[in-house]
Amino acid sequence: MKRVFIIGLLLTIAGLGVGFMIYNKPHQNMESAAPDFKMPATKLFTEFNANEAKANEQYLDKVIEVKGIVQSVSEEDGKVSITLDAGGLLGGVMCQLDGLSEHKRKTFEVGEIVQFKGRCTGMLMDVVLVRCVEL
Amino acid sequence: MLICCLLLVGFTSLQAQKYFTKEGTITFHSDAPLEKIEAINNSVTSVIDLESGRMEFAVLIKAFQFEKALMQEHFNENYMESSKYPKGTFKGQITNMDAINFSKNGTYQANIKGDLTIHGKTQSIETKGQFEVNQAQISGTASFVILVADYDIEIPNVVKDNIAKEVKIDVNCNYKELKKGVQ
Repeated sequence: MKRVFIIGLLLTIAGLGVGFMIYNKPHQNMESAAPDFKMPATKLFTEFNANEAKANEQYLDKVIEVKGIVQSVSEEDGKVSITLDAGGLLGGVMCQLDGLSEHKRKTFEVGEIVQFKGRCTGMLMDVVLVRCVEL
Repeated sequence: MLICCLLLVGFTSLQAQKYFTKEGTITFHSDAPLEKIEAINNSVTSVIDLESGRMEFAVLIKAFQFEKALMQEHFNENYMESSKYPKGTFKGQITNMDAINFSKNGTYQANIKGDLTIHGKTQSIETKGQFEVNQAQISGTASFVILVADYDIEIPNVVKDNIAKEVKIDVNCNYKELKKGVQ
């Protein structure tokens, strides 16, 4: 009887422990995250622009590695956003640096070629990738 | 001929001036008995037409960042269904344009009215906002409260003490002039 009680207690503690860990599970580590897709920024934008619903289905929440030319950089409230040229006048791919990662640099030159890995959240004026880290 | 030219110049200077941002911030807070929830979105796009007072905002729901990853997951998967409704939008109007002078530095109180669409559901809302004009920069802030149920967002009974029925939304945008062509 006592053994059953002890086993039950241990299971409960283990259960609570697992629950606690799940509740406090950390955000995905972006530096070690494996990309679901790798493509030029121009291609990502073109796909969203051509068929947003289809692109959403394919790319929302996925980790995407994009390569492109820096079109503009902005910093607001400590948040750095780098917009990559998508080859047109309609918009680009906006990459926001991850607030939870360490970054080797936060300044970028317009015209330089860069590579970022981030999570796709959809398209407004640009395709927006959040939690980006530079590669 | 000269009169025609002058008229043309006159018309172009009256052309609507649009100001925009792609890095606006929206924070929402929910204060429930068991838990305080807060999330922030830094990629809000907003355009404001200084002549007509028309304003539009768009946010990507998946871009809201929470401190707790699990909460962010529940928010997206269970409450907002963001794969189905990836955006939140507001289309509205400043209703007291005569009290605001965007060409003069200063702080102005604005009355804003418009349609807020969240989770595929649209509601008409009214709120007060504030604009601060400083040279070429216009910053706009607003705070308002929404009822979660108004947007068909279902909170299961199990967690109803963790999530408030009311959510407070804070908007903060720094606008710059939208120039046609090269940015």
